[in-house]
Amino acid sequence: MSKAMYIKAASCISPQHSYGEGPMLEPLMSSDTGMLHVVEQDYRKYISPVAIRRMSRLLKMSITAGMQCLADAGVQPDAIITGTGRGSVSDMEHFLSDMITLKEEALNPTYFIQSTYNSVNGWLALQTKCTKYNETFVHRGLSFELALLDAQLTLNEANDTQNILAGGFDEMTDYYHVVKGKIGYWKKEQIDSLELLQHGNTDGTIGGEGASFFVLSNDKGNARAAIAALKVLHKPGVAEMQNAINEMLEQNGLVANDIDVVLSGMNGDAKQKKLFEAGTGMFGDGATVCAYKHLCGDFDTASGFGLWLANKIVSEQNIPTVTIQSGVRSDAIDKLLMVNHTITGDASLILLNSCK
Amino acid sequence: MEDFKVTLKQQIIDSLNLQGMKPADIDDNAPLFGEGLGLDSIDSLELMVLLERNYGIKIEDAREGRKVLTSVQSMADYIEQHRKI
Amino acid sequence: MAEKIVVSSVGLVTALGLGIEANMQAMRQLRSGLRHPVHLQTIHAGEFVMGEVEYSNRQMAELLQLPADHNYSRTALLALVAMQEIINSFDIELLRKEPLALINAGTVGGMCTVEDLYPDFIAPGTGDYIRYIDSLDCAESTEDIAAYYKLKPLMATISTACSSSANALMLGARMIKQGLVKRAICGGCDALSRFTLNGFNSLKNVAKEPCKPFDRDRVGLNLGEGAAYLLLETEASAKERGARILAELSGYCNSNDAYHPTAPSPYGEGAYNTMQQAMKMAGLQPGDIGYINAHGTATINNDIAEGTAISRLFDGKIPYFSSTKPFTGHTLAAAGAIEAIFSIAAMREGIVLPNMNFDTPMEELPLAPNTQLVEHVDIQHVLSNSFGFGGNNVSLAFSAL
Repeated sequence: MSKAMYIKAASCISPQHSYGEGPMLEPLMSSDTGMLHVVEQDYRKYISPVAIRRMSRLLKMSITAGMQCLADAGVQPDAIITGTGRGSVSDMEHFLSDMITLKEEALNPTYFIQSTYNSVNGWLALQTKCTKYNETFVHRGLSFELALLDAQLTLNEANDTQNILAGGFDEMTDYYHVVKGKIGYWKKEQIDSLELLQHGNTDGTIGGEGASFFVLSNDKGNARAAIAALKVLHKPGVAEMQNAINEMLEQNGLVANDIDVVLSGMNGDAKQKKLFEAGTGMFGDGATVCAYKHLCGDFDTASGFGLWLANKIVSEQNIPTVTIQSGVRSDAIDKLLMVNHTITGDASLILLNSCK
Repeated sequence: MEDFKVTLKQQIIDSLNLQGMKPADIDDNAPLFGEGLGLDSIDSLELMVLLERNYGIKIEDAREGRKVLTSVQSMADYIEQHRKI
Repeated sequence: MAEKIVVSSVGLVTALGLGIEANMQAMRQLRSGLRHPVHLQTIHAGEFVMGEVEYSNRQMAELLQLPADHNYSRTALLALVAMQEIINSFDIELLRKEPLALINAGTVGGMCTVEDLYPDFIAPGTGDYIRYIDSLDCAESTEDIAAYYKLKPLMATISTACSSSANALMLGARMIKQGLVKRAICGGCDALSRFTLNGFNSLKNVAKEPCKPFDRDRVGLNLGEGAAYLLLETEASAKERGARILAELSGYCNSNDAYHPTAPSPYGEGAYNTMQQAMKMAGLQPGDIGYINAHGTATINNDIAEGTAISRLFDGKIPYFSSTKPFTGHTLAAAGAIEAIFSIAAMREGIVLPNMNFDTPMEELPLAPNTQLVEHVDIQHVLSNSFGFGGNNVSLAFSAL
């Protein structure tokens, strides 16, 4: 059985106010364009003027979220492990479009270099002078979870204190929105993003983006939450997913009643409603059911925003009202279970404990 | 030539996204790399793209490239002699 | 003492051919796979030689008995074809029944297909191209492998540029050691694409002629394509099913240069550290290494950095080393797995693979790779190096059992 991964710090740049000094999730941000973009930050704080001038949005937000997370934890990383569904897709689109238009002549190297999926990792290593383990997962909607899984392997191997910088990041572009719209990713009707979950009877969801980073450690430090268990599931049906939830509870000595909060990745897509409800339905009225994709949109590493929110709920023992879908609000939040399904049908379970 | 160098400097600023810089901030003879503007090897590749797209100049030999990209002056001189556009 | 992780089956396809035998035979005969591409449609086809796999997409579809309306990109086809050798060598029910991981790697996924269809993708409307719309994701070929061979593994896809599949092997070994799975199929696949060719060409490091690793007059790399997979399991698991053990994966290390987005540190600090750590994990001294399959891309930067690291680490007693990229081209995400297989085969057959096209040592470094096919060599341990963009370095150590 794996050891707990203590969350020493979390940093998230998202379509909501989730980064920096001000109040979190206030004021609420929304959009009716079918996609949400991040609240842009001052990226010069951690990136030099020479480096920043060539960087795409994804690089800037990811590096900034990663560096801020390390600063908050006050540690140097012992490993940098990330997941991204599409990497710097705007750089890829730029290089590809130029290549087609200019007929393979006189192309800018910068777009090509940055379109490489591990370019954020390279920069984070460079910025932190971290010469140790460095890994990038690109497995669609499970990319972030696989990064967490690798972090877990790394901590299990350690004999000494290890602080791992783990993260997930993706950006939304107009072209990407058009392309995936052709295979039914997005809602056809125009809706207010904050009301996404009230439109659960029609197909599709809304697009989003963001960069979320965590310092995960085998050392408790000042952590107030820990990842106790983690599971990825490839295209599970209802039974397989419910079995996985039961197995995870059992392995951690828990019953459904012990779960105080279920944080669901429900995304308002009628096609996926049954799967999500099968998960949340296992917990009866005892647990508060919360959701987050009406705040950040759906994207390959949206569960990174989910984990940022889960950590906040457990650490602060407070559930933001805007996330609550059903159930009573518990007084003490000790166990939180994240249940996510990706647009392509994969799923993940993440169990958080509070650290007293 | 003086006008052309101002144009070229603006192209360099745009191509390398040298935020906040104006043509007047770049000295004709200051080294572009190392101590001067502080550009790096990827910038030198970007400047080669600039030469190819705007002036039809293709530099194959890396050593020649380094010579041409010494300063704004050396770039301007080379463009004047070799431009195809 | 932890359980030994062993390699018990391999499969690959490169410009040299399909399967380990075809690949080794070509190298024994000093026959390079580099030529001007015929399948890749690019204005640069006549300009650059590349390591293009001989099969057309149609031929691979026939080998795999696919229906005409399949939606596999060339990348996925290469992966499926490479996997055949492993599947045929194995009781597939065992792979289906017992806990398995499939760790795949890619740098641009099905870009080879997407770059042809992209204008349609982003224009309004729909069409037959829709079936390829997800093929850009590197995970597509991972899922294709599982679906085609009816496996239900724990899947992961890695992308760390040119070290991707070496990282896949390392992750698979770690998962087995921690009991997450019993076996892991690890490797990578990349097909030639205009995107990659023009990308590397924009960095001005692609050679027109066959590349010259470690040579003073090297001008850059040749791109290649291919796919390769290795089956990892514990020694006990291999013995239990009476399998032939090809080698032990005795050591591995992933470290980062933390020096520059694309260039290695000139003194090869990263390469040095990663080789040293992999050897340390395997409990090996420099004198134990019989052969190094170098990353050896023949770019100006890589070869001086890697060469310097080898010189420093093996101080005066440099083992046989060579780059096999003049045979296959640089196959990017597949390179780590392809060269791991070459390293293991060299060890098993007691031969040292030649570094073709080497004439003159670098001015900065009096270092010469092995240029001939050397036979009847007793090799007990080998190193295989893979270094990528983002400073991502991996060294794998394999040992005879």
